[in-house]
Amino acid sequence: MKARHIRIMLIAAALLVLWELIVRSGLVSPIIVAAPSDVLLAAKKDGAVFLRALLITVTEIGVAIVIAWTLGIVFGLIVGSSYLVAAATAPVLSSIFAIPLIILYPLLMAWLGVGPLSKVVFGVLAGFFPIALNTIDGVRAVDRGYVNFARSIGATRLETNALIVFPLALPAIVSGLRVGTGLVVIGVIVTEMLASLGGLGYVISYHRSLFDTGHVYFGMALALLIALGVNIALTRLDRRIGHWRLQQQGES
Amino acid sequence: MPVIEVTGLAKDFRSGRAAVHALRDVTFAVDEGRFVTLVGPSGCGKSTLLAIMAGLIAPTRGEARIEGAPITAPMPAKIGMVFQDPTLLPWKSALANVEFPLALRHVDPATRRKRCMELLDLVGLSEFADHYPHELSGGMRQRVAIARGLAQDPRLILMDEPFAALDEQMRTRMGHDLLDIWEKTGKTIFFITHSLTEAIYLSDTVLVMSARPGRIIATLAIDFPRPRELDIIGSENFGRIRNRIWHLISERGE
Repeated sequence: MKARHIRIMLIAAALLVLWELIVRSGLVSPIIVAAPSDVLLAAKKDGAVFLRALLITVTEIGVAIVIAWTLGIVFGLIVGSSYLVAAATAPVLSSIFAIPLIILYPLLMAWLGVGPLSKVVFGVLAGFFPIALNTIDGVRAVDRGYVNFARSIGATRLETNALIVFPLALPAIVSGLRVGTGLVVIGVIVTEMLASLGGLGYVISYHRSLFDTGHVYFGMALALLIALGVNIALTRLDRRIGHWRLQQQGES
Repeated sequence: MPVIEVTGLAKDFRSGRAAVHALRDVTFAVDEGRFVTLVGPSGCGKSTLLAIMAGLIAPTRGEARIEGAPITAPMPAKIGMVFQDPTLLPWKSALANVEFPLALRHVDPATRRKRCMELLDLVGLSEFADHYPHELSGGMRQRVAIARGLAQDPRLILMDEPFAALDEQMRTRMGHDLLDIWEKTGKTIFFITHSLTEAIYLSDTVLVMSARPGRIIATLAIDFPRPRELDIIGSENFGRIRNRIWHLISERGE
């Protein structure tokens, strides 16, 4: 194992050196491809700026995730547990989901300004639909027998949904969360790049216009870091739910 | 005194413009401590009748009463249910599944644990209390569901083809063990099946239902002595009763 790690690190270092050499040799323009040393210089020079931007973006994404998850799951549970409402709503939601939501952003900006609020709202909008749709599907897939059982033991509608239907639908909900959370991250960063006064997307966009390719790369690396963190957290969650999924397969 | 009385019950469904008559003029009563089974062809409205008796759906006409009180909503303290699908919660152990109806009623943990361990013991699963549903066989899951149906100590147990998904051998054994449980608890059981053998072997009384619209076309008292052994299934008398029910159902079914 150890030898393998060392080998991977050596290969990575070799690639970085190669990359640096190619850019230095003048084969490619430094505006198109920044050398690793340029990225490090950017981090050294404007590290504090990037850190502030990262903090803004992470906060926006965090708030948007909490709201998108809550709204998506609650809405999905309510709609999914009524056959008629679900039959009427699901096609509408699916078609809205198919629209590129970014075309709504100019409206949001006009209503909410260029500050963080419009980013959070757009992030919520981007993440809401897949979460709600998957929750509706998950709830509708729950066997009617479970609902009859719940009623027969005197469970209220709320108890039935919270204690039986929600956990049974959880595997489907989590796959909705995976898609939806990814879209929240994209939504926030993209709208920052479009028009804003702060955040990672703004910094990337700003330096791109100045052809500071090293700065752009560093910003991209930080954005990747956010996506990576979100993905790791979701994989953990998925694995915990997967434990039940196996049990459910045993059940059916 | 009857535990449950059903009088003049009818149920119509709308299917597009046409009304489907699922049940018509169903009247019967089940006395305390009896084992009564309803048999009939598939789609004759057996499950609809059971759902009305459970308070899950409302009849179009007539009514069902438990101990004199009309059933208009589920009555968990008086009526326990066992479904064809065990509907166990996959993330809860066998014991936690049995405890679930009591936990919902906020019965204190020590009391409900003790009571539910006794019930698991009754259905022969005390060693499997900590197992999860996916670790149990189909028959074992249905035993857990039976114990769960008994958890609130109801007066009446409604069973909707509980062994239909099991293989023949397991089904026969479950029937045998169910009689044992019934004799030990003295509960009133109303059982639905389409297996004539199962109906005759288990019951004091067999109600025969016709195809749609579902009506009770015969009530047969089954007087094999109890406790019953599986041998009676091969007896001449048993065969005669089975033939009779079979003719009743198939004549009307034409």
